[in-house]
Amino acid sequence: MASIPMQYVLILSAMLFSLGLIGLIARRNIFFTLLSIEIMLNAAGLAFVAAGARWAQADGQVMFMFILTMAAAEVSVGLVLLLRLYQQFKTLDVDAAKDLNG
Amino acid sequence: MSIQDVISLLPLFILTAMAVIVMLAIAFWPNRRASFWLTLSSLILALAALVPAASTVPRHVTDLFVVDKFALFYMGLILAGGLVTTALSRGYMDKYAGNRGEYFLLIMVATLGASLLAISSHFISFFLGTGIVSLSLYTLIAYNPSQRQRIEASLKYLILVGAATAILLFGMALIYATFGSMQFEQISIRAVQPDQNSPFLLIGFGLLIAGISFELALVPFHMWTPDVYQGAPAPVTGFIATVAKAGIFALMLRLFSHASLPVGSPLWNEFAAIAILSMLVGNVAAVIQKSVKRLLAYSSIAHLGYLMVPFLAQGQLSPSAIGFYWVVYFITTLLAFGIVAAFSDPVNELDDSEAYRGMFKQHRWPAVMFGLALLSLMGLPPTGGLVGKVYLFAAGVQGSVWLLVAALVVGSVIGFFYYIRVVILMFSAPPSESTSIGPTGKGTSVVLSILTGILIILGLFPTPLIGMIAKIITNIL
Repeated sequence: MASIPMQYVLILSAMLFSLGLIGLIARRNIFFTLLSIEIMLNAAGLAFVAAGARWAQADGQVMFMFILTMAAAEVSVGLVLLLRLYQQFKTLDVDAAKDLNG
Repeated sequence: MSIQDVISLLPLFILTAMAVIVMLAIAFWPNRRASFWLTLSSLILALAALVPAASTVPRHVTDLFVVDKFALFYMGLILAGGLVTTALSRGYMDKYAGNRGEYFLLIMVATLGASLLAISSHFISFFLGTGIVSLSLYTLIAYNPSQRQRIEASLKYLILVGAATAILLFGMALIYATFGSMQFEQISIRAVQPDQNSPFLLIGFGLLIAGISFELALVPFHMWTPDVYQGAPAPVTGFIATVAKAGIFALMLRLFSHASLPVGSPLWNEFAAIAILSMLVGNVAAVIQKSVKRLLAYSSIAHLGYLMVPFLAQGQLSPSAIGFYWVVYFITTLLAFGIVAAFSDPVNELDDSEAYRGMFKQHRWPAVMFGLALLSLMGLPPTGGLVGKVYLFAAGVQGSVWLLVAALVVGSVIGFFYYIRVVILMFSAPPSESTSIGPTGKGTSVVLSILTGILIILGLFPTPLIGMIAKIITNIL
């Protein structure tokens, strides 16, 4: 089985990363913002896996496991904040929270 | 892992074990005081454990960590910062009606994460350290969730730090792809290979620097800082401004002592631009602030810019200049936010600068302490801030980084305006109705007085500390 050159996978993960970044900036619903952060983290993870495969080391996949763990913990806290946001502001629109100006 | 490894990581083991114990204590004794005293004693124990750890240095503990005197110095600073924050939070959290055991637990865990950053020498421990600090801070910032400001601040922190972490990770992935190793020493060993200037490497380091600058709140990645600092509880803001930044700065020093930054290279230019922008924008933006916490937020942005000057100068004075300024910065910032916290409770914070008008008439000693803290931030005698700034200036001049030194001077001059405005407000005539908020907590004024005393002593007799730091930090940069 021919191996895929690392550059192609890195370009794919760069595209995923920018998709996540655009989603983070453009979306007003907090839920989709958290989703976009997840996409960005997983894109970085894909880049790690590709790099690990290029050097034939397990380090890339180990790092990906750490990334998954941390992303899971972060998104759990994020969902709690989403609940609190809804309780307080009665909406999931991030733009509703603008008491702190600037 | 040998027994020597365990001894060299003893402070971290103590913090971890005590975190578990505090969790159990919160579950079994929802008593208000238990978690505070447990956290305080565990941080003191961890500080004491630095002494046996110092006898085993320098040491590589697994591939992830390296424990040397540099790491122990910053770890000591971080643990002391966590200790002071805990002590200052006690009076503040006494007024919180809900559960407050978790607050102290989270402070301890965040301190643990920042200590992890100080000893890290691998990308994985870098990521874990920042992850632990960030996760603890998301909850700490939102600690009174019935207040809209807290939730908003915590959301802003979550979203932006989540994005920053992803940017950091992507940069790390690109660097790993180029070098084949995630360990800092290996990066310097392999950096002589022909693919030195490959685009992946430049982009990777650029993204890494962007991620680090997010966490350090440097311009132009600083947009989250004023809102988060204003919305968070005052002791937590003091924690973010000192401990969280110190860990990442220590790691940045270690990383770039291995991956060299020759003056004039693209990465050095990126850092220099960030530093100059931070010093100028941070100071200019603070001039128009009416809220004391936002003012202190912009001032901390500027101070991190000042700290970048010796880092970029890479001279002989740089490591000790950076170390000394971190000590002074810790004391000053914790003192300033401690005074704000002493006059606040979880519902009303003493944030509006108009509320400080005439403080000297009503609360004499806190006003003097706050005034001294602001003098130190300005860099005026008799405080340690003067010595620190002179030291930064000397390190910058030694490295001949003239543009950075000029920005340091200009920034400090602009800084006079807003600091002196608060001092004048405090010493001017009080308004007709007096503020009803009084200082809270018995322990708070003792801690703040000790901090003020150390600040003055460092301003008048800095030589012992400078000598000690110069002996400790000799192998970085």
